[in-house]
Amino acid sequence: MNGESFLFTVFALATCLGAIAVVFSQTVVRMAFWLVISLGSTAALFFLANADFVGAAQLLIYVGGTLVLLVFGVMLTASGPYLKIATSPGEIVMGSLVGLMFLFVVFASLNGVDWREPSAAAIETGNPVVATGNTLRPIGLSFLGSRPDQDLTGDGDTLTPGYLLPFEIVSVHLLVVLIGAAYLARAKRRAVGPG
Amino acid sequence: MVGETLRNLLMIAWLLPLAGFAVEIFGGFWGSRKSRVAAWMSVGCIATGFFCSLSALLIWGSSNNFWKVPHETDHHADAGHAEPDHAVADHPADSHDSHDSHDSHDSHDSHDSHDSHDSHDSHDSHDSHEPPVVLGQTVYSGTLYYLARFGSLDISLDYYIDSLTLVMFTMVTFIATCIHVFAMGYMSEELTEELVDHSAHLSNGHHVHRPGRYYRFFAFLSLFCFSMLGLVLAGNIFQVFIFWELVGICSYLLIGFYTERKAACNAANKAFVMNRVGDFGFLIGLMVLWTFFGTFRFGETLNDKGEVVQAGLFQMLPRDETGNVLRDAESGDVKIGVVTAAVEPGGTRTIPYSLLVVAGLGVFAGCVGKSAQFPLQTWLPDAMEGPTPVSALVHSATMVAAGVYLVGRFYPMFVQEVLLTIAYVGCITLFMAATIAIVATDIKKVLAYSTISQLGYMMLGLGVFGWGAGLFHLITHAFFKSLMFLCSGSVIYGCHHEQEMPKMGGLWRKMPITAFTMLVGVIAISGLAVPGLISLSSVFAFSGFFSKDAVVATSLAFVKGNPSHFLLFIVPLVTAGITAFYMFRLWFYTFAGKPRDQHIYDHCHESPWIMTGPLLALSFFAAFCAIGGEEGPLYRLITGDQPAHVAHGIAAPLGSGELTLPGHEAIHAVHGTAGTLALIAAASGTFIAWLLYGTTLVNVAEIKRQLSGLHGFLANKWHFDELYDGLFMKPSHVVGSCCVWIDKTIFDGIIHASAEVMIFISKWDKLFDEAVVDGFVNLLGDSTFAVGRSLRVIQTGRLRQYVMFIVVGVVALFAILFTTFPG
Amino acid sequence: MTADLNSYLFVGAVLFVCGVVCMATKRNGIGVLMGVELVLNGANVNFVAFSRYTDLGLDGQIFSLFVIVLAAAEAAVALAIALNFYNNHLTIDVDRANKLKG
Repeated sequence: MNGESFLFTVFALATCLGAIAVVFSQTVVRMAFWLVISLGSTAALFFLANADFVGAAQLLIYVGGTLVLLVFGVMLTASGPYLKIATSPGEIVMGSLVGLMFLFVVFASLNGVDWREPSAAAIETGNPVVATGNTLRPIGLSFLGSRPDQDLTGDGDTLTPGYLLPFEIVSVHLLVVLIGAAYLARAKRRAVGPG
Repeated sequence: MVGETLRNLLMIAWLLPLAGFAVEIFGGFWGSRKSRVAAWMSVGCIATGFFCSLSALLIWGSSNNFWKVPHETDHHADAGHAEPDHAVADHPADSHDSHDSHDSHDSHDSHDSHDSHDSHDSHDSHDSHEPPVVLGQTVYSGTLYYLARFGSLDISLDYYIDSLTLVMFTMVTFIATCIHVFAMGYMSEELTEELVDHSAHLSNGHHVHRPGRYYRFFAFLSLFCFSMLGLVLAGNIFQVFIFWELVGICSYLLIGFYTERKAACNAANKAFVMNRVGDFGFLIGLMVLWTFFGTFRFGETLNDKGEVVQAGLFQMLPRDETGNVLRDAESGDVKIGVVTAAVEPGGTRTIPYSLLVVAGLGVFAGCVGKSAQFPLQTWLPDAMEGPTPVSALVHSATMVAAGVYLVGRFYPMFVQEVLLTIAYVGCITLFMAATIAIVATDIKKVLAYSTISQLGYMMLGLGVFGWGAGLFHLITHAFFKSLMFLCSGSVIYGCHHEQEMPKMGGLWRKMPITAFTMLVGVIAISGLAVPGLISLSSVFAFSGFFSKDAVVATSLAFVKGNPSHFLLFIVPLVTAGITAFYMFRLWFYTFAGKPRDQHIYDHCHESPWIMTGPLLALSFFAAFCAIGGEEGPLYRLITGDQPAHVAHGIAAPLGSGELTLPGHEAIHAVHGTAGTLALIAAASGTFIAWLLYGTTLVNVAEIKRQLSGLHGFLANKWHFDELYDGLFMKPSHVVGSCCVWIDKTIFDGIIHASAEVMIFISKWDKLFDEAVVDGFVNLLGDSTFAVGRSLRVIQTGRLRQYVMFIVVGVVALFAILFTTFPG
Repeated sequence: MTADLNSYLFVGAVLFVCGVVCMATKRNGIGVLMGVELVLNGANVNFVAFSRYTDLGLDGQIFSLFVIVLAAAEAAVALAIALNFYNNHLTIDVDRANKLKG
């Protein structure tokens, strides 16, 4: 077991156990805590898979942004920090059983499917660009419409299109979503009361 | 120029009544019912027409040097009768060669006066021993307005003006003026907003109340005058037909003037339908003419240069120098000259002789209907349901004379078979109608039958080749018959609409003017005369004597030439006596003797001046219009343009079996005999009438009882109505009821059966629809509904459950996938 | 446990299933949102793994980036919805949101 395998094992376990803990935690704050653990470990897994930029983005956006957002949500909607909205044990058991069955099915298909035969280089080092782990520049170039990773490895006659257009669309999308979220979340008169 | 002037004058006379009609019918409708404006307008129109016609006649006469002739004639008359007749007779045959070109150029206005002058000169130089006066033979024809063109056939409004046209125009307009004036008085009771018609009943037994229709009466009279004058002026046979129908419709409107009276309606329908029967023949004749002659025009058609493009009907029929129709020796067909130089040089066509007869008989059939000849005579007595002025104008003087006029106008196209038919039809009619008139008691019915009888005389005269005689009688009869009708109208008006003669009597004391003028008419129609009153060789007589004398003389001459047709002389001679008898019977019955109904006598009165004035004017003309007889101005005016072949007569080739048609000479030879015989007959008829009705020597009722069979036969009008009823009405009723039966049982049966079948099918279709189609659709809907209802349970609205369902679904799908494709 | 494709996919699968179960069991709306985040992360892990161990190359990472961005947007909107829901119902219990019950 080399260092990579060791680290992978550690972070994979952290990820899986964090996720399971999220499922079985009864308070929202704890769920948020376990979620941080799980998502952070996922970011570490990304680093392990040579996806530096994605891992960094995961840390920044998820752990730094989304989770803070969720915690704000928790605080805005909860009358107390240890708020419990209890789920009946039967439901938990039922959900667990179904989840296990689902997990089994997914595993079965994972093992059943014969994945595309990776190239020899990929078996050794993965994708030549990805293998370096230095993916910031290719990703930036691909968002500008240029694909050095593909075009350099190919025969050079055909140019692969980049992601300029999806990038722009996603930018606009984000803008719209922010406006929409602000509109939805703005303070309105309260209803008379529950039930 | 003369032609143009004549045309313009006659057109004014012709079209004024039409304008009057248009103004009267609309103005009257919007105007007051009590206004006499319509009448004055109508009288104004027709009186202007009369003066136009009269001046046209005078212009025509002076342009043809006509008015100088009486002096010549008087001169000849002293010397002897043969000479002037000869001169008149000679002229057409002599000038016949140059005649055609003369005719054609006359209608071309620019050459008009010049040419006629030329022809006078040439004529004079050609025949120096002839009298310098050229009589008539001047026809002005041309086209007024093109209506349509079908191939080579022009449908146009033409005019054809000759002396007959002018005389007819003058006569019609004069009589119409008198009758219009008379009607102003006679119809005055229509001048009200609410008129009670005592002869018309509603279903609840009350009398009909209606607004007065004074204006409408005069509007119809104006329309009638327009139609009649158009008929006379017409220059082609189709135009004649158009106006023929127009006078028919006017007659219909006027007979049915009292539309509320059922009898009037029936009479109007009867007149219209009977006339249609004759018009059917007319149409057949027209078709034959069009097919074989290619034109309807009487006169020639000219182009701009004055060349003859198309020969007229009257020029087409070829006749040899004696007047016989030229026929092909083998086939018997007749070659007709169709077109002259310009279009088709010397073009000829051939018409089978039989079709020529058919054409003639067809046109004559129309005349039979219009002139109420046997066998279509029954409508005229019924037509007396109209107001009396209508009877006077339409049903005695003018419209019924249109048939006679057309026979005279179309004379050049008649071959001798047709002429013989005309003669016999006239002969039967005149006798039959006269016998019925003996027993009629309605004063207007007597006059109606007398009219039919006199029309028969005219037809007879025309049929036995007395062209002039027939038309002469037409003119004189128009005068005295309109006079007598107006007199009867005056009587009816004075007696408050009492028409039955047995209730009158002794009226001359109450209405002397009417009685006197009526007597003039009666004498005129009876043909009484006083021989040798003025000079030894002539007689003093009223108009009827001369014209009837002419007809009888012609028929005698005809019978002399064709002894097998002796009836054509005997019957009119006897009927002359009968005529005198029934006319004097009428007069004695009405005016002489003692009053039979004191109530009517007490209340009757002389008519106002507006009615007696026309009586006096007409009685003058009835008495003296034919003065001078066949040498007089009227006869010479009428015969001024007589057809070329009439004067000479036609001698039949020996043993050919054809008719010998008498010329003027032959007629004149027997004139004295015929006149004497007719006078004797009339005198004896008068004497018998006086004996029976003027005195009390003989009991009329006794005679009537002894001859009740004959009386009944005559009183029922020879059972013609019953005959037609049995001959046409009953069979058509039988055919009709057969058709009804077929309709009701077979056709209705088929239709009903198919309807039943359709209902049956649609019932099953309904079942199918409801069960299968609706069932299917409902099943679809119901099942969808049920599925939705059952699935509704799953829609819990709970988020988490949905997620569970998704997961379970995915798991299930994978499970299925793995079990189906293991590995 | 070596770091190969199947291992990554295994971790992704666990994350995914945990997210699904989280969505299915949590009554708290925020908890449901957390489940969604877990599901998206599971997918991201798969993307990155395929990027690393197959010819997919950089595309997988770029896709995972898009997913992250969209997840952030989704989280923002979903939180806004949750806030609205809370404003109207004074609770965050999704079982109360059963107006669409058939």
